Amino acid sequence: MDLSNKPSKAKLIASGAIPFVFVIILIAYIFGPGSDLLDLGVPLPKITMEKIEFIDSEIHVTVRNTGPIPVVIAMADVNDRIQSAAIEPDKFLERFETALVRIPFSWNVAEPYTIGLTVDDGTRFEKEIEAAAPALEPSLELVGFFAIIGTYVGIIPVMIGLLWLPFIKKISKNKYHFFLAITVGLLLFLAIDSVEEALDVSKENLAGSFNGVLLVATVIVLSFLGLYYSGEKLVKKAESSRITKPLAVALMIAIGIGLHNFGEGLAIGAAVGLGSIAFSTFLIVGFALHNTTEGIAIASPLSRDKSSFLGKAMIGKLAVLGLIAGAPAIFGAWVGGFVYSPFTSVVFLSIGAGAIFQVIIIIFKWIREEDDKNLSSAAVVSGISVGMLIMYLTSILV
Amino acid sequence: MLSAIIGVSTIIIFSVFSEAQLEPKMFVTHSGQVIPTSGDVLDPLYAASTVEFDPMEYLREFNYGRVSQLPDGTTLREFTIIAEDDKIQEISPGVFYNVWTFNGTVPGPTIRATEGDLVRVNFINNGSRSHTMHFHGTHPAEMDGVFEPVGPGGGQFTYEFIAGPVGVHPYHCHVMPLEEHIVHGLYGVYIVDPKEGRPAADEMVMVLNGLDTDFDTENNFYAANTIPFYYQHHPIQINTNELIRIYVVNMVEFDPINNLHLHGNLYNYYPTGTDMVPSFYTDMITLSQTERGIMEFKYEYPGKYLFHAHKVEFSEKGWIGIFLVQENLDQKSQTEIEYGS
Repeated sequence: MDLSNKPSKAKLIASGAIPFVFVIILIAYIFGPGSDLLDLGVPLPKITMEKIEFIDSEIHVTVRNTGPIPVVIAMADVNDRIQSAAIEPDKFLERFETALVRIPFSWNVAEPYTIGLTVDDGTRFEKEIEAAAPALEPSLELVGFFAIIGTYVGIIPVMIGLLWLPFIKKISKNKYHFFLAITVGLLLFLAIDSVEEALDVSKENLAGSFNGVLLVATVIVLSFLGLYYSGEKLVKKAESSRITKPLAVALMIAIGIGLHNFGEGLAIGAAVGLGSIAFSTFLIVGFALHNTTEGIAIASPLSRDKSSFLGKAMIGKLAVLGLIAGAPAIFGAWVGGFVYSPFTSVVFLSIGAGAIFQVIIIIFKWIREEDDKNLSSAAVVSGISVGMLIMYLTSILV
Repeated sequence: MLSAIIGVSTIIIFSVFSEAQLEPKMFVTHSGQVIPTSGDVLDPLYAASTVEFDPMEYLREFNYGRVSQLPDGTTLREFTIIAEDDKIQEISPGVFYNVWTFNGTVPGPTIRATEGDLVRVNFINNGSRSHTMHFHGTHPAEMDGVFEPVGPGGGQFTYEFIAGPVGVHPYHCHVMPLEEHIVHGLYGVYIVDPKEGRPAADEMVMVLNGLDTDFDTENNFYAANTIPFYYQHHPIQINTNELIRIYVVNMVEFDPINNLHLHGNLYNYYPTGTDMVPSFYTDMITLSQTERGIMEFKYEYPGKYLFHAHKVEFSEKGWIGIFLVQENLDQKSQTEIEYGS
């Protein structure tokens, strides 16, 4: 087609736009005035309580209209006992609109509560809180607390894992591939873990109208493609710059794990914020053990970096990679603890999963290039299996 | 074009509630706190002007029918009762429920006769389903309102029987599925007075009922006379040393029992009202489905006294009220007294 020709370009635009015009006409026909084509069945109201916070002597409920019709919130109750309450900005909720319901109530710490909201047609919706905990107010103390948890869970374990680098450097090619494959197993496990977490959050806290499963799938694919594209660019660039290819691969892995750890931090922060878990030292130990394996994943490709041999520069690089992979846990904990929303949680967990799938592809390519285009060697197969098993066993601790 | 659609829908989807710049309103919680808000107040507090059904009017309204004498000297009391089942009523502020009604209200009109009177009820069913009137009491089998369903859209039936026995009885629709017909509101009170009459008193009717507004076989609201919390926000005014007589009928479904506790006093209780001698002197009676009786008491001291279900779940879902006892009949004040104020 000759695009330089102006009339034909106009034709091209027109031919592209015509279907859109028909779509608009179709929508106008279906929804337009006087059309009762869709008046089948009875639309039922639906609201979702997205967040419940316990503040001083009030319970705050963030409610969203997630049904097909506008609703009016008529009444609030706590444990099925009617309470007078306020709703801000007002009680009329259009589709997808949110409001804050304030229920004055002297709640008791650690007790379970069921919060109910009744809409204008008398339908009552409820949400259960396992244990009431004071809502987190962003204080320096709390910021520090989350930073420490993030450090324990994210940075320190990754750094410890990186200490395997000298060991991995000295082993044979076959054993090295075994370690890379372990990494793949570990990451595969983490990715599935993230997907599971994202689906859980979307099922428990996200309204059905967000299509939780498809939201997770879409974000995973977009995250994967975005990182895959930029990763390829980075590796290509590595060939012509002072970054070596192993370092580029390690960096991609660190970024992928970092995105995953952001999601993990988010989950921890949200759990503390929502009062759904009591943070025990045992839990932190479990997370730490679990995440040590992530250090191995970064160390594996790096061990074939021939540019320097454990020099000062290398230690610096390791530290930076460890921070890239581990520090997001801290940011995640802050976001999860202070500005939790189920929607962002699901999105970030899915981004993390997509990032890890991308890292897995990079490592597979790396092994294929090194291992004579072969992915079915005993080292690779057993490595992936061992990786999965290690993760499963350490995950029991969490 | 597409980006415009996406943009607009993004605004709709992610529109976070804005800080409304409205006049702050105040509301009082059930525990007496005063809370300011910039938004709307969600409180089952009824201003008299918005009540479609007025519990205060129902409380002391007795229907004696169109009275005439039969040749043999018997008093004939004729009533016309029309059943409907399409009315949507605001039964608590902001909550709308499809009530099925006798003469437009839940409960239906209180029918009152004297023992031995001939009661004739011209029943018209203007509903969309079959309905009947089944009176508790003594009457011939064909007047029982069970095996003679009255068809929808204007079906008619005349119930005729001699009033008796003395006491307080419920009447209700007896068409299957029975639970559905009762919980939607097809019931009322039927009082049979003794021929010699009862001592003069300030008389009232209280139907203890519940409303299952979301059809999950659990009541969302409880009340005395349908509207939750009504007599709490609009206390019933009575006088010291005046005999108070309450005809109480329990029509709550789903929950096996209901009860009634009176503050600062005890009452003589006549189960079913069939005996002239009280069976109990108590401040607490327990009532099963359609169990009923007559309570009589006097207040010695003026002030505000609660009456409520001591099954606290019921009282916290609306079955609670206040007697405002006043010293002197002449100085009866009409000022609105708000609970907690």
